[in-house]
Amino acid sequence: MNFFEIVAQLAQGLVSTVVVTLVCSGTGMGVGLTVAGLRRMGYAHLVPLLDGFTYIFRGVPVLVLLFLVYFGLPSVGIKVGPLLAMALSLGLIAGAYLAEVFRGALDSVEASEILAAEAMGMSRLQILTSIEFPQMLRLAVPGMINEFTSILKYSPFAYTVGIAEITKQAMTLTATTLRGIEIYIAVGVLYFLIYRILLAGVHFLEKRYQVPGLGTT
Amino acid sequence: MALIQIRNLVKKFGTHTVLDGVNFDLQKGEMKVVMGPSGCGKSTLLRCINRLVEPTSGTILVRDQDIMGPEVDVRALRQSIGFVFQQFALYRHLTVLGNVVLGLRKLRGMSRAEAEAQALFQLNHLEMADHRDKYPSQISGGQKQRVAIARALAMDPAVVVFDEPTSALDPVMVREVAELFNRLNQEGVTLLCVTHDLALASQIAKRVIFLDQGVIRADDTLENLAKHHPNAQVRAFFGDKEAQS
Repeated sequence: MNFFEIVAQLAQGLVSTVVVTLVCSGTGMGVGLTVAGLRRMGYAHLVPLLDGFTYIFRGVPVLVLLFLVYFGLPSVGIKVGPLLAMALSLGLIAGAYLAEVFRGALDSVEASEILAAEAMGMSRLQILTSIEFPQMLRLAVPGMINEFTSILKYSPFAYTVGIAEITKQAMTLTATTLRGIEIYIAVGVLYFLIYRILLAGVHFLEKRYQVPGLGTT
Repeated sequence: MALIQIRNLVKKFGTHTVLDGVNFDLQKGEMKVVMGPSGCGKSTLLRCINRLVEPTSGTILVRDQDIMGPEVDVRALRQSIGFVFQQFALYRHLTVLGNVVLGLRKLRGMSRAEAEAQALFQLNHLEMADHRDKYPSQISGGQKQRVAIARALAMDPAVVVFDEPTSALDPVMVREVAELFNRLNQEGVTLLCVTHDLALASQIAKRVIFLDQGVIRADDTLENLAKHHPNAQVRAFFGDKEAQS
């Protein structure tokens, strides 16, 4: 079995790795936007709850939360599938980090523009979705790339709950061939390729929605 | 009946009184200028009119409706008052056209085609249609102001208020701004402008209101204020050289 055959074998787990990364990134984005948005809306009674969420979820290890969801919840009668368990652990932790990234970017939206929108008669929600979020997403690109990369790098935890992603395939292949060095080098190459494709996708979107005078470039 | 009637308007921030019993009327089709030194309460006065700042006491009637009433729809009130800010406050992520279209789509519920047609009409009126696809960072201060005016006019407001319209502009732009204001006023647009720019005021209004320390000290022609007002500080503000020395 040569190196390319090893890569071909491992590639069977590629789809699962990509699906886990996308599902957790999507969950993280949804949670991050919701938390940052609710905080921005100025609901004072929700702030301690939002602070508590980010405080706790940024401090809990992914694997501990994953095991809590996947192995712990069934003991109280809640059975969670492997992909949902990943979303509720890695996705929520990513959401807590992204909420902080978004909070920083939202602070860069000029107060005068928000005031102008209020003076025009727009509601707080309209201002958030039409003025603040579109600017914030452009300003938050570097932080978002960091977080998506972290999600990709934490995705191998999915093998612990039975998802046959790249690392799981590598373990199986190593057990049958005993060629650990080539196999794990091939795993590294695959993750690097996924990372580069992810980066290219984000940069494509960044360029597509780039606005002169606004953003990081 | 005046379009806007302000009576005994008081605004306090903590113990600091910014407006202390302001009274004035703005008639439909009129162009009124309020002048005064920095910190005299000019911007606060404008912001009370559309309740960006909540007055402490007094009454403000807009088209005979008390805007401080509990049943007042504040967002509807704001839509009837076009506001052009000192730094223009264009939305940086939107093009010139997008800036004008946004309010029409979100607040008037127009389709994209309708909103763009209306926005282009206003931009064309203000000679900015050629710049429709540019972003705010790509146009000059004077052009930004025209876009901000087009954005306000597109909503068909009862009055357009200007907060220090020339403070962010080159002095040579003042004449251009004055010509634009005069043109808009001749076309029937009601304008309320606060400024401390004498050059602008002299080109757009015969009479000005002088606001100082939250109180209207005078309502007179610029010439009378500069030469005949009993208070030397007022005469100095309006350019009387003897009072300044």
